[in-house]
Amino acid sequence: MSVYVLGETRVDDTFAEAFPMRFARLVITAATDAWAQEAARSLTGFATSVIGCKCEAAIERPLEAEHTPDGRPGIAVLLFAMDREGVAKRVLERVGQCVMTCPTTACFDGLPGGERAVALGSSLRYFGDGFQASKVIAGQRFWRIPVMEGEFLVSESVGVGRGVGGGNLVIGAGDATAALAAAQAATDAMRGEGVALPFPGGIVRSGSKVGALRSKSMPASTNHQLAPTLRAQIGDTLVPDGVGALFEIVIDGVSEEAVREAMRRGLHAGAGAGATHVTAANFGGKLGEFQFPLSELRDPP
Amino acid sequence: MTLTLTLRTEPPARVLAAQLIPERLRGLTASAVAALNLRSGGERPAVGDLFDVSEEGTEDEALVLAGDLRRFDDVGARMSSGRIVVHGDVGAWAGAEMAGGVLQIFGDAGARLGSAYPGARAGMTGGEIVVSGDAGEEAGAGMRRGLVAVGGRTGSGAGLRMLAGTVVALGGIGAEAGLGNRRGSLVSGRPLEPLPAYAFATRFQPPALRLQLLRVRELGLAVPDAMLSASWARWSGDLTELGRGEILVFEDEEPEP
Repeated sequence: MSVYVLGETRVDDTFAEAFPMRFARLVITAATDAWAQEAARSLTGFATSVIGCKCEAAIERPLEAEHTPDGRPGIAVLLFAMDREGVAKRVLERVGQCVMTCPTTACFDGLPGGERAVALGSSLRYFGDGFQASKVIAGQRFWRIPVMEGEFLVSESVGVGRGVGGGNLVIGAGDATAALAAAQAATDAMRGEGVALPFPGGIVRSGSKVGALRSKSMPASTNHQLAPTLRAQIGDTLVPDGVGALFEIVIDGVSEEAVREAMRRGLHAGAGAGATHVTAANFGGKLGEFQFPLSELRDPP
Repeated sequence: MTLTLTLRTEPPARVLAAQLIPERLRGLTASAVAALNLRSGGERPAVGDLFDVSEEGTEDEALVLAGDLRRFDDVGARMSSGRIVVHGDVGAWAGAEMAGGVLQIFGDAGARLGSAYPGARAGMTGGEIVVSGDAGEEAGAGMRRGLVAVGGRTGSGAGLRMLAGTVVALGGIGAEAGLGNRRGSLVSGRPLEPLPAYAFATRFQPPALRLQLLRVRELGLAVPDAMLSASWARWSGDLTELGRGEILVFEDEEPEP
């Protein structure tokens, strides 16, 4: 595979392959930033991959009090699923279990005017057992659900947008410590508006391939070609000489542009933080609608 | 486009201003608006006889009324979209049976602000009314949806037979409020003695009210910060009706333990 060089880093001339997904943006506010964080972390828990978790979700960014609907500290969260129905189900479950339950929170639609809205408060309100009430405020309907603390306020519906899921970078270095430091520098640079990094800390160490060599029932299995411990026992290893560990960063974004620019930021930050090798995962271009060639990310952000 | 009507002289009799709403004036030039006739006693004065009419090409679509309009009733009544801004006081029935849009009155409003006309069950069904000064009796009577927010006080009988919706009076809701209220919210910025058909529930920080007060502030009223963070007393009523309405009362000082 041809490579190009970015400082000390060799970058494979390959591409990340990504898929169309649907997403919702939730704005969770609370009395304190800490409680908003609690709710957001709970809501985005167990949401690393659609394969195993039915959705992918992550904190997008914290919001200053003056930028939230109710003027309290907040967190914007992005949740991705394969289709609108998937978004609707996951949002409803997760807001019901992780936000409504969390002290002091309220939950708002962060994508008003999204192409099609799905029900949130209009379904959750039944938890109110007939005692719920609604208010239309500035043209938007909210539900007030009486709870033991007082009231939980939630938007009637949330907008769903068309996003891109599965953008990625694979970052390697001489050993696991160095590779992780580079990957962390990359994730720090990548987070921001329009981007969700759904894995723990934004980083996956168990990158996968589609299917499995030895089992027909496994939908995915370890990316053995990038497992350094196997490089001497398989004939088709992709671990380059001198690389002792690799980490993958998966990026879901609200647009192709958001994913591409996050990849660009991550590539340059990783390269500047000790990555010796950067590549990307794809399926030979057969599965995904979107391709992000690393060669297009040469110019720094 | 902004259409501005500036009152020339006080009319000799009360004038019905219900025609002067954005959806009826849309697409009309200033001279066409000046030629419209209003009802006033037995007369039909032209708008141009009462007002100086001017238009200005702005992005915002608004109708501006300026002057002492205390003899003008039905200002913004039954409007369903757009924005009316009044600089001055208005008469009775302002925003009556309003269905949508925004009515901003920088002055006082007369009786029956945003209310139902006689015989109608439902009054306002949507939209937002903001009054910087005081409002008269029976504000929000029969209201089904929407917001009436008053910077000063409302007269007696606010929220009479209210179905739902919200009436806010930062300077305090007047006496005998919320008689026959089913699901509506009355919000009083000053302590009040609710009717016997209301029962005290609790003190809490109502999250929806916070959103509404922020909206009211956006629409031009000075909402004190203390109201956003304070606990409000919730009284439920009218318990002789459905009992799902509420009166929320701002209590500046902590209650005695």
